[in-house]
Amino acid sequence: MAAGLGFKTFTSGEVLTAADTNGYLMQGINVFANASARTAAITSPQEGQYSYLKDTNALEYYDGAAWVGAPVGDITAVTAGTGISGGGSSGDVTITNSMATTIDAKGDLIAGTADNAFARLTVGNNGETLVADSSTSTGLRYQSNFAAGKNAIINGAFNVWQRGTSFTANSAQYTVDRWRISASAYPTTGTWSQQTFTPGTAPASGYEAQYFWRYAITTVGSSTDWYFGQRIEDVRTFAGQTATFSFWAKADTTRTIAVGYNQNFGSGGSGTVSGSVGTTYSLTTSWQRFSATVSLPSISGKTVGTSSYLEVFFQQNSALANGYTVDIWGVQLEAGSVATAFQTATGTLQGELAACQRYYVRWGGLNVYQNFGQGYADQTTTAIIQVPLPVTMRVVPTSIDFSTLNLSTGGTNTTVTNCTLLGGNSSNQIACAYATVASGLTTNRPYGLTANNSFGGYIGFSAEL
Amino acid sequence: MENVTFIEIETSAGTETHAIIDHGNETFTSMPKSEYDRQQAEQSTPPVIE
Repeated sequence: MAAGLGFKTFTSGEVLTAADTNGYLMQGINVFANASARTAAITSPQEGQYSYLKDTNALEYYDGAAWVGAPVGDITAVTAGTGISGGGSSGDVTITNSMATTIDAKGDLIAGTADNAFARLTVGNNGETLVADSSTSTGLRYQSNFAAGKNAIINGAFNVWQRGTSFTANSAQYTVDRWRISASAYPTTGTWSQQTFTPGTAPASGYEAQYFWRYAITTVGSSTDWYFGQRIEDVRTFAGQTATFSFWAKADTTRTIAVGYNQNFGSGGSGTVSGSVGTTYSLTTSWQRFSATVSLPSISGKTVGTSSYLEVFFQQNSALANGYTVDIWGVQLEAGSVATAFQTATGTLQGELAACQRYYVRWGGLNVYQNFGQGYADQTTTAIIQVPLPVTMRVVPTSIDFSTLNLSTGGTNTTVTNCTLLGGNSSNQIACAYATVASGLTTNRPYGLTANNSFGGYIGFSAEL
Repeated sequence: MENVTFIEIETSAGTETHAIIDHGNETFTSMPKSEYDRQQAEQSTPPVIE
């Protein structure tokens, strides 16, 4: 047997030689009755030569040293197992991963439902978290994240109103706790006030709110804008981070508002850095939740002074008018780019009150002679009164609010005409008030500072930013 | 309408000047004059979106 010569195309008239015959034509598969017949016929097998033995139905080739069986596939069928579909016993066989085809959308998960069984778990809403729940078919459930501690806004649900529930003055001032109003010009008549949700009508599912905030203009004067914002202690808050601001709002008719921020570096610090949060927000007569993501600038290279803060504020973005009304509730500022379910900063009423009292404390309104603190007369017209503060305040208070006060001793009441702060004697845990009366105190005699026969008597201490 | 007066009080630290702001309806706010001046300066530049 000659060695194979490969493949050749013969041309017309070409002479077929013995070498051609042996090298090309004889290179097919030779059929023999058995191996002995093959040995007898092919005395010099060539590497790569094929033969077929009829007695064993074996296709063999010569590997240069011996005849060996040609490789033959031994798979006769493909059967789909668990989690796979398709299969077959001939031709092209396709198998499909059933888990993969169960997924319909981004974020879908495949979860087990029983032994060797699974189902699709549809992706949750933005900000939701996955929790185990044995009552569901997959044992899993997405739910809103109501965890406390994520919201940098204190009193974002407007639960705490120590200073009162309605404000008509338009000068820059704190109103509902931690929230400050301001304007560059003022409406003739406008009210910032507490409004009460009818039970079951609060806009957030899973959060039964009690109050919301309202700004209502009765008659427009020279006003061009209004401001309602919160100063979050420490300009480092979310500095250099992405944060998401969210709130619910509605209005008397279609109104547009805007949201801005200021990074105030405090006394002795760098200049204020300002920007907007989102673009504008179109309010309708129905509650809507709005949100926007903001990248707050880094404070690298800045000087942080005392009493720095991050301020976030609402501002009108459409013309004011008689009857102009804007309602806001559920304000949240949190890290990240997703508005998660609303939760107050602390998660509890008592926590929110304590958080507010770090910045402002007011005593009063519980009894007509409610006692606020004790002290002594240092002169016949003045007394130094220590007033305990319920939480450690941010700093030593910087101002006192008061109304209808009285100095009382041994059944004798003397009307207080002025009350000032003794900053040099105060701390952020005990405030010292300096109460002034027209006359009649006994020097070095103990006195109590009380309401003067009125539920309207109060004293408040501010350590606001 | 708010009415502001300034009073001086004698303390162990010396004489201090305080602002007394009468908000009407027998409600008042008092603070050291330095704090009053700071707040007044701040009022003149309310925050705006730039």
